[in-house]
Amino acid sequence: MDNLGIVFALIGAAAAAIFAGMGSAKGVGLVGQAGAGVVTEDPSKFGKVLILQILPGTQGLYGFLAAILVLLQVGIIGGSFEPISTATGLLYFGACLPIAVVGYFSGISQGKAAAAGVGIIAKKPDQSGKAITMAVMVETYAVLALLVSLLSIISVGKLGV
Amino acid sequence: MRETEYAYSVARIRANETALLAPADIEQLVSAPDYGSAVRLLADKGWAVPENGESFDIAERELTKAWELIAESAPDASLLEALVVANDFFNLKAAIKCVFSDRDPAEYYVYPCITDTQLITQAVTDCDFSELPEYLASCAQTAYEAVSKLESGQLAESVLDRASLEARLAFAKKSESALMMRIAGLYAACANIKTALRCRTMGKSDDFALDAMCDCGMNNRELLQSADGGDKLAEYLSSTEYGFLAESIKKGFAEFEKQCDNAIVSWLESAKYETFGPDPIIAYYFAKQAETKNVRIILSAKASGIPAETILQRVRDIYV
Repeated sequence: MDNLGIVFALIGAAAAAIFAGMGSAKGVGLVGQAGAGVVTEDPSKFGKVLILQILPGTQGLYGFLAAILVLLQVGIIGGSFEPISTATGLLYFGACLPIAVVGYFSGISQGKAAAAGVGIIAKKPDQSGKAITMAVMVETYAVLALLVSLLSIISVGKLGV
Repeated sequence: MRETEYAYSVARIRANETALLAPADIEQLVSAPDYGSAVRLLADKGWAVPENGESFDIAERELTKAWELIAESAPDASLLEALVVANDFFNLKAAIKCVFSDRDPAEYYVYPCITDTQLITQAVTDCDFSELPEYLASCAQTAYEAVSKLESGQLAESVLDRASLEARLAFAKKSESALMMRIAGLYAACANIKTALRCRTMGKSDDFALDAMCDCGMNNRELLQSADGGDKLAEYLSSTEYGFLAESIKKGFAEFEKQCDNAIVSWLESAKYETFGPDPIIAYYFAKQAETKNVRIILSAKASGIPAETILQRVRDIYV
């Protein structure tokens, strides 16, 4: 029971990496399928399609970043590991939830928006900037969730609970 | 099937939509000075045209290419077979007629189709329909017997036409696409309306007419009674979901058929904005079908020297 705090912190870090990563994988995969369709017909559009495919990949990076920060805070990375209280562990877990949940759903939604943008590239390649802008809008909410998670993770260490 | 599984196929279709003929291209074709110039314009647009003594149907070749694209890219092409299943019945009809009149059915087959035409020829020649798909086998036997035993080509046609419409409705249901079901329903309703009118004109019995009609959600007996003459049919249609056809039926078959085609094109509009699911694929095939129909009308008219104004009256709306 003494190690319950670290268990919760690790579950939080894992959730951030797993769910945000899953959202990104689904999003990137979906745009990849649509992109492959366009590139099959016109290989010269690969560059424009690739930009759209990269966009839903950022949620996975955000989740990874939050997870690494938790591991650093609790000392699993860096070699200064000290047991933490159950309350602190739960706080780390809670701090990871925004990017875990929002990362999952925004990754999928951004993938759908970007896949729709692939259709714009297929029919009107000169309008690709608009397709990218529309897909980027979804990113806003992943960035907000990342900020909340990062600020919370950093603050938990200073609370001394 | 999940709609996102169509992402690859829809993207390929979107890329190919840029090659569809625009209204300006159709106008250019209509105003081409002769048949040869119209064919050259199509060749410039990337259509396969006969060269060096070749002979093939330009429109049919283009439609077959469209179906091959769909079959190659769709996650499960069998769900979209409602698009071409009617051609199987047309081919079966051609095979039965040709076998009984000692002609080669290969000249009359239409493509794209699902069932191998050689299999159809073999089945009709051997009078063994067990190798045909289930949806063809039973009506093939009935139609064959109508010709061989009753010597009634008309009955055979009626059996096959009804089976074709019912198969399209069943295949459309399998696709789980509301758009496909709506279009299949319209085709069935139009066929029933035309059957009712023709049977009344030819003085056929009610039983014959009702046997020739398929179940498409309308009351076939009321439809038949309303086809007696005057504006009764238009009035009856106004009371059904096909009220938008009421005005055109007063103006004759050509206008009625044009209105049906234009209604389908207008339904396809919504598919322009879909990113996933089968609807953009269905819309592309119908767009291609409408396009090839227009090209056929224009080329036949050009070959017969019909003036541009008359051709324009026959040309359908297009989906671009």
